[in-house]
Amino acid sequence: MGESSILWLRVATGLYSLGLLDAIITVLRRREQLFRVALAAFGLGALFHLVSLVEQGLLQHHLPVNDIFETTSVCAFAITVAFFVVYWRYKTESLSIFVFPLVFVLSLVAALRNPVPGWSSEALRNGWLSVHIVLILLGYAALLFTAVAATAYLIQERELKRKRAQSVHRILPPLGTLDELISKSLAAGFTFITAGIIVGSIWAFISYGSRWIGDTRITISFVTWAIYLALVFVRVGAGWRGRKTAILAIIALLCSAVTWVAHAHLGSRLV
Amino acid sequence: MKLLVAGISHKTAPVQLREKLAIPEHAVPNALRELQQSGAAEAVVLSTCNRVEIAAAIPDHEDSLRIVSRFLALHGHDDAALVDSHLYRFEHREAIRHLFRVAASLDSMVVGEPQILGQIKAAYALARNEGSVGGLLENVLTRAFSVAKRVRSETGIGQMAVSVSYAAVELARTIFGSLRGHSVMIIGSGKMGELAAKHLRRSGADRIFVANRTRARAEEMAQVFSGRVVEYTSFLQTLPEIDIVIASSAAPHYILTREAIERVISARRNKPMFLIDIAVPRNIEPSVNEIEGAFLYDVDDLESVVNANIKEREQQARQAEAIIEEEVERMIARLKIEEVTPTIVGLQEQFEEIRAAEVMRALRRLPSLTPEQREQVEAQIQALTKSIVNKIAHGPISELRNNAGHPEGTHVIDAIRKVFHLHR
Repeated sequence: MGESSILWLRVATGLYSLGLLDAIITVLRRREQLFRVALAAFGLGALFHLVSLVEQGLLQHHLPVNDIFETTSVCAFAITVAFFVVYWRYKTESLSIFVFPLVFVLSLVAALRNPVPGWSSEALRNGWLSVHIVLILLGYAALLFTAVAATAYLIQERELKRKRAQSVHRILPPLGTLDELISKSLAAGFTFITAGIIVGSIWAFISYGSRWIGDTRITISFVTWAIYLALVFVRVGAGWRGRKTAILAIIALLCSAVTWVAHAHLGSRLV
Repeated sequence: MKLLVAGISHKTAPVQLREKLAIPEHAVPNALRELQQSGAAEAVVLSTCNRVEIAAAIPDHEDSLRIVSRFLALHGHDDAALVDSHLYRFEHREAIRHLFRVAASLDSMVVGEPQILGQIKAAYALARNEGSVGGLLENVLTRAFSVAKRVRSETGIGQMAVSVSYAAVELARTIFGSLRGHSVMIIGSGKMGELAAKHLRRSGADRIFVANRTRARAEEMAQVFSGRVVEYTSFLQTLPEIDIVIASSAAPHYILTREAIERVISARRNKPMFLIDIAVPRNIEPSVNEIEGAFLYDVDDLESVVNANIKEREQQARQAEAIIEEEVERMIARLKIEEVTPTIVGLQEQFEEIRAAEVMRALRRLPSLTPEQREQVEAQIQALTKSIVNKIAHGPISELRNNAGHPEGTHVIDAIRKVFHLHR
């Protein structure tokens, strides 16, 4: 990929990050404060993205889809365009909770291609890795909380529906409290995991150069993150509650467990 | 002194008799005086819709039956046979147990209901104002208040709703947690619906909407709850804002269908909604309960919640009875000690008085001694006399302690008082 093309892509990614920030604030505070700014930044980012793609296309004389990085970049751009079309047509702000983080992460992956010289010191490399691990573990803890609260929600809801006024009522917290707990822990977990994924991707990129993307563990991590993103979207964006979110939360927790096991047992093919 | 409790309650007498014997509040001071005239040292009168009771402390020689019938005669109830067959009468230990059980709401019609404790406290306050308590009865009553508190905190007896409208509040709390900031809509004007709304409001629900076919009735109800009137024809539009719906209209058909509620829930973005249908025939289509996020309870459902709670309460009541037994024992033990304490103190004081006087006399008669010698001798005399007095006092004092509280013990105590010339 051309040097200037990747530069434009990185500028676009930087602008997209405002979109991610907006999505996280919306999920945490449940208020859409930054949306206007984020939307503008996102539009500007799309423009730089287009420049990057055109430049790369001109260089190769065809659509730049030669490897996974270029494909990801094109894919991210296509999603952005689709989002703007849908937004212009239906004014669906809530879709941004899903699209902003997704486009950001995809373009981040695409931008982490041309290798950089590597770590300036071993300490920095290890420190960076520790930050990644801590963030991911915090995210898992929050997700575990979400899944437990979601299970309690399911039980409490079922008891209420069956009209069995027995002791379970009094042991479990009220539905409203559980719902609040699910929202809060989900928001916190999503923030930690997203930050952890970004830090981890950059770490892998600096450590391994452009080969980082082929690693199985990293692929599994991205899949888990995508499920998490879907969970956050259906809950905050689409207003799903109760049974459906609870089941999704439990699936997300299981996927996280798989990712963890993968990291522990699948030796890296890299290095 | 001995304790006496006599009266009738929902368990022993029909309401016709209870209302005949009821003593209205303004007549209580007079009744207290009459009890004292009849021979009671202390008296409290408790008159509620479920019981009419007198509690009194009477001198040991008085016959409790005579006091009760004298009191009843003063009140113009000389149909003794009728009253007698319904009247219960407890003395000593049984009287204490009865007072504890009543205060802890174990003898109530709805076991565990909290009003009775307040009523007893009010009766006690009234008697206190009239100066008719102070001593044994006061002792037992104040203990009864803390026993009631202990029962309440150590068993779950008062925690579960045992009325349909409280059951509705309890369920609303299970769904929403705190009710603060939640909204209620009452559709129709059934009495039970109004009651449920009142309880919900008292529990924190702060926005009340009223929809009624008759505008005037809606406005009247809105005033009661300081709520807002919603046009009956368009209440469906307001429903998405509402967390708790109470339907109690006289409509002969469903006014809320499954389809309508499905739309409402989706407009609420699946936020849970609690629907209470206390109308007969029902106002809300039963299959609404199958919608995710909608919780529909009809009268029968609420009733079964209440029944389950009552069963649970009965179980808690058994635990409470054990606490009562323990507290009665403790009270009796305390009373025993308190009963003989004045005699013991009197005895000790009298012995000490005699001893001190005799020591003084002896010291005056001593020959002239040097100050050091005098001091030595005086110390000797003091120690000697104290030891003699203590040894003599030991017999009667331990006899007093052993006989405290026994029915025949009073004779022993009286004899000891007589022998040692203790009069007061």
